[in-house]
Amino acid sequence: MGFESKLPETGVITTTLEQVVNWSRKNSIWPLLFGLACCAIEMITTGTARHDIARFGSELFRASPRQADLMIVAGRVSNKMAPVIKRLYDEMAEPKWVIAMGICASAGGPFNNYAIVQGVDKIIPVDVYVPGCPPRPEALLYALTMLQKKIETEHLRDHNAPKQTELGVLLPDTSDLPPLPGA
Amino acid sequence: MTDPILALSNRFPDAVLETGDASGVPSVTVASDHLLDVGRFLRDELGFDLLSNLTVVDQLKLPPVQKTADARFVGVYHLRSVARDGELLQVKTPLPGGDNPVAPSVTGIWPGANWHEREAYDLFGVRYEGHPDLRRILMPDDWPGHPLRKDMPLGGERVPFSVTWDDDEFKMLGRQIMQPEQTPQAIPKGMDSRHMVVNMGPQHPSTHGVLRLIVELDGERIVNVEPDIGYLHSGFEKQGEHVRYKDFVYYTDRMDYVSAMQNNLSYVLAVEQLLGIEAPPRAQGIRVIMAELQRIAAHLVWLATHALDISGTGHALLMYAFREREEILDLFEMACGARLTTSYMRIGGVSDDLPPAFIPRLVEFLDYMDARLDEYRAMLEKNPLWRKRLEGIGPLSKKDAIAMGVTGPMLRGSGVAYDLRRARPYCGYDQYEFDIPTSDLGDSYGRYLVRMAEMKQSVRILRQAAAMLPEGDYLLDDPKIVPPKRDLLDQSMEALIHHFKLYTEGVTPGPGEVYRAIEAPKGEMGFYIVSDGSAHPYRLRIRTPSFANLQSIAMLSKGHLFSDLVVIIGTIDIVLGDVDR
Ligand code: SF4
Repeated sequence: MGFESKLPETGVITTTLEQVVNWSRKNSIWPLLFGLACCAIEMITTGTARHDIARFGSELFRASPRQADLMIVAGRVSNKMAPVIKRLYDEMAEPKWVIAMGICASAGGPFNNYAIVQGVDKIIPVDVYVPGCPPRPEALLYALTMLQKKIETEHLRDHNAPKQTELGVLLPDTSDLPPLPGA
Repeated sequence: MTDPILALSNRFPDAVLETGDASGVPSVTVASDHLLDVGRFLRDELGFDLLSNLTVVDQLKLPPVQKTADARFVGVYHLRSVARDGELLQVKTPLPGGDNPVAPSVTGIWPGANWHEREAYDLFGVRYEGHPDLRRILMPDDWPGHPLRKDMPLGGERVPFSVTWDDDEFKMLGRQIMQPEQTPQAIPKGMDSRHMVVNMGPQHPSTHGVLRLIVELDGERIVNVEPDIGYLHSGFEKQGEHVRYKDFVYYTDRMDYVSAMQNNLSYVLAVEQLLGIEAPPRAQGIRVIMAELQRIAAHLVWLATHALDISGTGHALLMYAFREREEILDLFEMACGARLTTSYMRIGGVSDDLPPAFIPRLVEFLDYMDARLDEYRAMLEKNPLWRKRLEGIGPLSKKDAIAMGVTGPMLRGSGVAYDLRRARPYCGYDQYEFDIPTSDLGDSYGRYLVRMAEMKQSVRILRQAAAMLPEGDYLLDDPKIVPPKRDLLDQSMEALIHHFKLYTEGVTPGPGEVYRAIEAPKGEMGFYIVSDGSAHPYRLRIRTPSFANLQSIAMLSKGHLFSDLVVIIGTIDIVLGDVDR
C-alpha cells in the first residue's frame, strides 16, 4: 500500500482525500470478464444496449484479474471450479469487491448436491448478494448501485490488509461406505 | 427394411439374451463378450452409424423383476441410423465384474464413444477395456468414489445454511476440495514436451464459459488440443434421481441455459412417452412456437459471441443480436413471466395459455427479425475479414462427423441433411413446411451459413405456427397427471383429492424406460429415463449435444493457427452447462 497507509485515521485531509478516492472508485468499477452459468448470460445482457451497464461506469469487463475491481460470481460454483475462483480472487489487486449473482453463487440454489459449493462465500468474501435465479439485469444494476453506496462509506485503511481467503467445501459423507471388493 | 432385432437374433443366436421394447424403441440385450461383434455388425451391415448415447445404469436398488440379468451395472447404448431417418435401436449389455464392472470399449466402432465412456468411468467406475485414454472427465482427479452409483449419497448440506466457517464439519470436509496445487501440472498424454504447451481457460474471454483447453503448439500451429471439462458439473443426473418428475422441469432450464424452452420440451416429451400420453393440439402448437423462438434466441447468442470473438467490429453485432434477443425474451415473459429460465412446459402441456396480445406481437417480431437477419448477413458476409477467418477453418467431413456422434448444425454444415424435426417429427412438426439447410463446405463458414439459414427457417415455421395455432386446451385433461385448475378446487371435492394426491405423491409412471430426443439448437438433445414405478426417476440420463460436439475439437483444430482455435470454439457453439451438466 502507498502513502495513504501513513495518513492519520481521521482529520480533514484524510476524509477529503477519502471522498475523492471513493468517488472515483465507485464510478469506475471494472468487473472481471468471467461467467459461470446461466446467470452469466444475464450478466452479458446487462452489458448490452437495453440495460447498458455503462451508465454506471462498469462497462469495461476486463479479462485479466489484475485489471479488475469487481468479481461478479455469475453462476454456480462447482467443486472443481472453486479453487480457480479463489485463485482469480487472490490475483485481483486491492481494493476489490465481490457480487454473488443469483441464488447459486449466494447459497447453492437448486443444487444442494455433491458437485456444487453451497455459496461462494464459503471460499471468498462477498459484498453484495443478488437474489434470483437468474436475477434480472435490473437486479444486477441495483446490486451495483448498492456496492457504490458501500464504497462511498469506505475508509482508506480498510484496504490496507489484503483479504485472506480459505478453501473449503462440502462433500458427501463417504465414510460409512462399504469397501469395494477387489479395490 | 429388415427388422434389426430379427437380423441380430439370426446372426448371433447366442449373443442375444433378451429382446423387448422400451416405450416404443426396439431394445435388445446382448452378452458383453459379444458386444463388439454385434456393434460392428450393427454399424456395417445394418447402418447404425451414429452412437447417440452411451450410459450405464446401476441396478443396485432396482426391483428384481426389472433387472437386466443379475449384473449390478448395465451398459446402455442408443444407436441411430442417419440414412434411415434416425431410426433408433437400444442395445443393453449386463456388465460382468459385480461392483467393479468391466466393459469392452466401443471406441473402435464409434470413435464418439470416447468421452461417453470416460464419463461412465468417472461417474460409475466402469472400466472400459481397450479405451485409448480412460480417466476422469468431469470430476476432479482426486475425487473419492463415483457419484452416480446408487450407494453414493446425493451430498450437499443436509440443512441449508446450517454449516458455517467455524464448524468442525466444514473445516474437516473443506480439506477434501481440490487445492490449486493439485491441478495436474503434467503435460497430457500424447503431447510432446518439446513443443510449447499452453493453457487456455477456464477463465478466458473466448472459451464461452468455464472450458479449459490445453494446447500443444509448434510455433503458431496447433499440434493437439486437450479439453478439460467438468468445471460446471452440477450433478443434474443425480439431482434428477432425487426429485419428482414434475420438479425436474425447472432443472432442465439450467443446463443449456440459452435454450431453456428446448430443454423443457425434450424432458417433458420423454416423460410423456413414458406415461403414454400426448399433449393436446394447442399445447403442441405453443410448444413449436416456443421451441422455434428459442432456436432463434440461441443462435443469436452464438452469432453475437462468435462475431465478438473473431473481430473487433463484432461488438456492434453483439449489441444488435442481443437487442433482437430481448424481443424474444419479452415474448417469453408474456407467456410465462420469466426471461431465461422459463420452465414453461409441463408434463401434458404448457403452464399457461398464451395471452391474447401474444400472437400479434409475435407476428410483428417476425417481420422485424426477417429484415434484421439480412442486415446481419450483409454486415458479415461483405466483410472480407469475416470470410477469411472462417473459410477452411475447422474442416469436418461427413464421415468423421457421424463417427464422432456430432449432431445439429455441425452435422448439417458437413452436408448431412439430418434433423430430428424432419426425421422423427414431434409436436406436429410434420405439418409445417420448412427446409433443412445444409452446406457442403464442412468448415466454419459452412456452419455459419447453416445457422443463419436455420434462423430464417425458424421464422418461416413460426409464421405458419402463428397462423394455424389451434384453439382448445393448453394442458391435458387428465387428473392423474395434470393438477386441476385453481378455480376447480373450490367447487369439486374430487379435484381437491386429485390435487392433494398429485402434490403429495406426484406422477408415477409404471416401470419402464424411455429414450426420447429432439432437435435442440445445438443438436440431438435426449433424455433416457428408467422408471421403477415410483414418483421420481430411477435413472435419469441426459444426452446433450454440446458434450458430443465438443469432442471433435481436437480433430477440427489440428494444423490450424492458435488464433483459429477461438473460431473453432465459436463454431462448435458450446454452452458449458450443456457440456458438463
Ligand atoms: S442462480 Fe439460477 S440462473 Fe443463476 S446460475 Fe444458478 S441456476 Fe443458473
